[in-house]
Amino acid sequence: MLVLRRRVGESLLIGDEIEIEILDANQQGAKIGIRAPRETLVLRKELKLTAQQNTTAAEAPPLADCEHKLKNFRRTAQEPSLRPDKQN
Amino acid sequence: MPVAQTKYFGCLDYSPESVFDFPAGLPAFENQDQFLFLEAQQYAPLVFLQSLRTPGLCFLALPVQVIDPNYELAVSEEDRRALALDPARQLVQGVEVLALALLSFGGETSASANLMAPIIVNLATRRALQAIRWDARYSHQQAIPALAARRTEDRAC
Repeated sequence: MLVLRRRVGESLLIGDEIEIEILDANQQGAKIGIRAPRETLVLRKELKLTAQQNTTAAEAPPLADCEHKLKNFRRTAQEPSLRPDKQN
Repeated sequence: MPVAQTKYFGCLDYSPESVFDFPAGLPAFENQDQFLFLEAQQYAPLVFLQSLRTPGLCFLALPVQVIDPNYELAVSEEDRRALALDPARQLVQGVEVLALALLSFGGETSASANLMAPIIVNLATRRALQAIRWDARYSHQQAIPALAARRTEDRAC
């Protein structure tokens, strides 16, 4: 990853058409301005990760397989103290 | 009583009051605006989020506190507004809101939960959305077996 230090009011260019400006920065975070062609999709990464994760989540295998994968967890969740020796 | 076709439980009667509205859908599923939340004793504490629009779409979820008893909610101002939740107050899980993490079973051996973007439900209005956190505090792929040893408390949905 390329790492650059920029101050408030300074910007950087990505290719010919995308400009990113640091508008403000403090302990809470940095406020960033983005100038890019209309057709360039700008997304917070978390949104993209969530969309991808949802797509995976929607393809859950048959319930028996899900159950199997959750077996250790569910046993622990339901019988936390009764059968600690049967978790695996 | 209306009947819903479900992915895992065949046809089910349901009452309109058990429908949860997702006005904005979910990321990657923006047109899925209504879900039934189903629970079955044999699968507890799993919650099934069955789409009313698409019978073949059913998410599996767990209350976030079942996965991480110390989970701290953080719902952005924008999301609180969308859910008509008081922006200033600490949210009470299980009473005021429900927070569910969607599960994925992509890997060979394990399940994971999206703790970065839990489903938040306003229990008073039955409106819900997927509230993405921007604080990088929780993973979108929290492995569940890694948490298996933790004790969890019973939670009602």
